[in-house]
Amino acid sequence: MIHIKNLSFHYKKKSPLFNDFSLEVESGRIVGLLGKNGAGKSTLLNLLAGLSQPTQGEININGFVPFRRNPNYLADVYMVPEEFAFPPISISTYIKAFSPLYPNFENQKLNNILEEFELQPTSNLNKLSHGQRKKFLIAFALSTNCKMLVFDEPTNGLDIPSKSQFRKILVSSVTEEQLIIISTHQVKDIDTVIDKVVVIENGKIIYQENIYEITQKLYFDLVPSLTGVENVLYHEQCPLGHKIIVPAMNGNESSIDLELLFNAIINKKI
Amino acid sequence: MNSNKFFSFSRFYRLLSNDILLNHKKYLLTIAGAFILGFIVIYLYMPNQVSPYPNRRFDASRYTNLFIPCLFGLAAFVGSSFSELSSKIKISNYLLVPASTFEKFLSQFTIRVIAGTIIFLVVFWVDAHLARIAVLSRIYGIDGHLAGPEKYDYIEKFHFSMLLLKIRYPVITNWRLFEGIGYILTFFSIGMFLFSVKIFFRKLGLIKTGISFVATFFLIMVVLMVCFSHLFFPETKGFNIANIYYLLSNGYYNNDIFQYSIAYLAPLFLLPLGYFKLKEKQL
Repeated sequence: MIHIKNLSFHYKKKSPLFNDFSLEVESGRIVGLLGKNGAGKSTLLNLLAGLSQPTQGEININGFVPFRRNPNYLADVYMVPEEFAFPPISISTYIKAFSPLYPNFENQKLNNILEEFELQPTSNLNKLSHGQRKKFLIAFALSTNCKMLVFDEPTNGLDIPSKSQFRKILVSSVTEEQLIIISTHQVKDIDTVIDKVVVIENGKIIYQENIYEITQKLYFDLVPSLTGVENVLYHEQCPLGHKIIVPAMNGNESSIDLELLFNAIINKKI
Repeated sequence: MNSNKFFSFSRFYRLLSNDILLNHKKYLLTIAGAFILGFIVIYLYMPNQVSPYPNRRFDASRYTNLFIPCLFGLAAFVGSSFSELSSKIKISNYLLVPASTFEKFLSQFTIRVIAGTIIFLVVFWVDAHLARIAVLSRIYGIDGHLAGPEKYDYIEKFHFSMLLLKIRYPVITNWRLFEGIGYILTFFSIGMFLFSVKIFFRKLGLIKTGISFVATFFLIMVVLMVCFSHLFFPETKGFNIANIYYLLSNGYYNNDIFQYSIAYLAPLFLLPLGYFKLKEKQL
C-alpha cells in the first residue's frame, strides 16, 4: 500500500513540483496516473521507486521508505521507465542475469508472455525494435511478481495488437497483493484495465476516484445533437455528433471514456 | 538492527554473477588485450644484445620502469568502475537493482580493484617471464654471436619483491619497507579516486578527477601546514607557514614523512565518501 503524506519536492534550482501532496492507495489495484506534460507524473513515479528523495513529508510503501533503497524493498518494486537501455546481450542472458535478483520471479510466466508477444529468447536485445524491447521489459516486469509495478508510458511504441495484448496480459497476471501504477498520456490504451484514476496537475491531485464510483456518478454517452439533452457536464464534438458526460441517473451505467473524463477534469467541469 | 539490509552473502553472490554475466566478454577481451599488449611492450623494451657495461643489466630498476607505465592500464580499468552511472537512464536501472548500496559498492570494488589488481599482477608476471624467455632465445653476446650463459644474469628473472625493496636500496630496512608501502598506498589512493570517479562526476570524469585529486592533496597539505605552523610556532601570522626542513635519523626528511602520511590516509576517507555519495544518489 502507498501512503504519501504532506510530500514536497523540487529539483535543484527549480520551483516546487509537489507541495503538501498526500495520497493513499491500497494494494490490489491498477491505478491510472494521468496529467498533462510537466504535471509531475514521472517525478512521482521516481519518488515512489526511491530514485529521488522528497524535500519534505513522508512516503511509505508496504512499510518501507523508498529512498532508503532497502534491498528487500527493491526486490519488490519494478519500474518500467519511458526510456530504457539494455546491455548488448540476448534475452535469455538478461533473464539469467537479472531474474535471480527477484525472489518471486516466475520463469514459466515469462515464457508464456514472451510467447504471446512473439519474442524469441535467443534474440539480441539491442537488435530488437523499440516496441519489441518494451514488450520484453513489460514481460520481465510482470514476471517478477513484485508487489509494486510502476509503468511510465507503457504503451508508447507498441503497435495496435501489442497494446491489446498488453491489456490482456496485465489484467490476467496481476494478483490481489500487487499494486500497479500506470502513468500515461495515451489514456485510451488503459481505460479498460485500470480500477482507479488519479489526475495530477501542478503537483496536486485534482481528481481521484475508483472506476466503480465513477460509473455510479457519471454517464458517458454519444448523442447526435445536444438539443434536448439536459445536465450536460462536459461535451466534445466528434464525427458522429457529441460525446457527453452527464450525471448517472436511476442506476444506469456506461463504459468510461477516460479521455473524455480526463479532458473534463482538466477543464474543471467535473 | 537488521544486517540483512546492508549485506547478504547470497544477494552479493547474485550481484557478482549478474555483473559477470553481463560483462564477461568485455572482461575476457580486456584480459586478452592486456596480456598481448603487455608482452609486446616488455619484449620490445628488453635488450637485443648483452652489454659489457654492468649498469646496463636488465634488473629491478628496468622492471620498475616498465611496471609503473603498465599501472596506467590497471588505472584505466579501475576508472571504468560504475559505468552504469554514465547516463540518466542507466542510473535509474542501476539504483533499482535489488541489492544494498554497500553490496553494489563492494561488488564493483571486488571486480575492478581486487580482481583487477590480482589479474594485472598475474598478467604482468607471466608477460615478464614469457618476454624474458623469448628474448633469451635470441639475444646476442658482446662478440655478436648468440649469447652464452651470462645472458641469464644479464636479464634478471622478474619477481615482485624487486619492485618494492630493490628500487634504490638493496638493503631492506623497516624504513625502506615503509617507503615501499607508501608507494603502494599512493597507488591505492589514486586508484580510489579513479574508482569513485563516476559516482561524483557523470561527464568529463577523468579530467575532473585529476583536478580534484591535485586540489584535495594540496588543500590537505596547505591546511595542515598552516594549522601546524600556528600550533608549533605561535608567532605565525595569518596564512604564513613556519616550517623546519630537517633530516631524521632514519634518513628521511620530515616533510617526506608528512606527504607519505597524507598518501597513506587518503584512501580511508575516499572509500566512505564514495559510498555515501552513491547511497544518496538521485535522478
